[in-house]
Amino acid sequence: MEAKKELNAVGLSCPMPIIKTRKAIEELGSGEILLVLADDPGAKEDFPAWCEQTGNELLKMEEEASVIKFYIKKK
Amino acid sequence: MTEKKRLAIVVSENSLDKAMMPMILGTTGASLDAEVHLFFTFWGLFLLKKDYKPKLKGMMAPFTGMMVKQMKSKNIPGYSELLEQARELGVKLYACSTSMEMMGVKKEDLIDGVEVLGATAFLKIAFESDVTLFI
Repeated sequence: MEAKKELNAVGLSCPMPIIKTRKAIEELGSGEILLVLADDPGAKEDFPAWCEQTGNELLKMEEEASVIKFYIKKK
Repeated sequence: MTEKKRLAIVVSENSLDKAMMPMILGTTGASLDAEVHLFFTFWGLFLLKKDYKPKLKGMMAPFTGMMVKQMKSKNIPGYSELLEQARELGVKLYACSTSMEMMGVKKEDLIDGVEVLGATAFLKIAFESDVTLFI
């Protein structure tokens, strides 16, 4: 899966990962993919909720140790 | 995808804990594409003053420094940083006109981008909101 942009939010606490994601996705075109890395304890629930609410598509979620990778396709 | 939401929050206190809650919820709401309106009234009004640094209150007051340090060590953004993020994300900030009169606070004492609003105008916004919170 080819991500157009990568956002490293590892080490950041709520609400920063979501704020940064919201800003990062604005820089992408429709259909392009944003890869976000996060380890905030709430991230696993927050990112699917954010995608559902904003209409961007969560393509894949990969857990590697404490870090989760979210592949998000811009609407 | 769900429709665009509107969130209205009354901010009534100026302690550090009560300052963080509307900022976290407000910036998150805006990041969720919601229209966010924050109405600062009574002690909450002080949070809109230029360079204001909220502290813990009452018995917790001596622990302000400890809490700020703890937040920093956990990479939790501080009040000023979140306020800046809120403005960047287009969160609407309102100062209660009656509180300004009562506390002797002038428009020029407040940060830029704040709108002065009465109870009626804010309630009109609240009536048309999906979620209203009081902090």
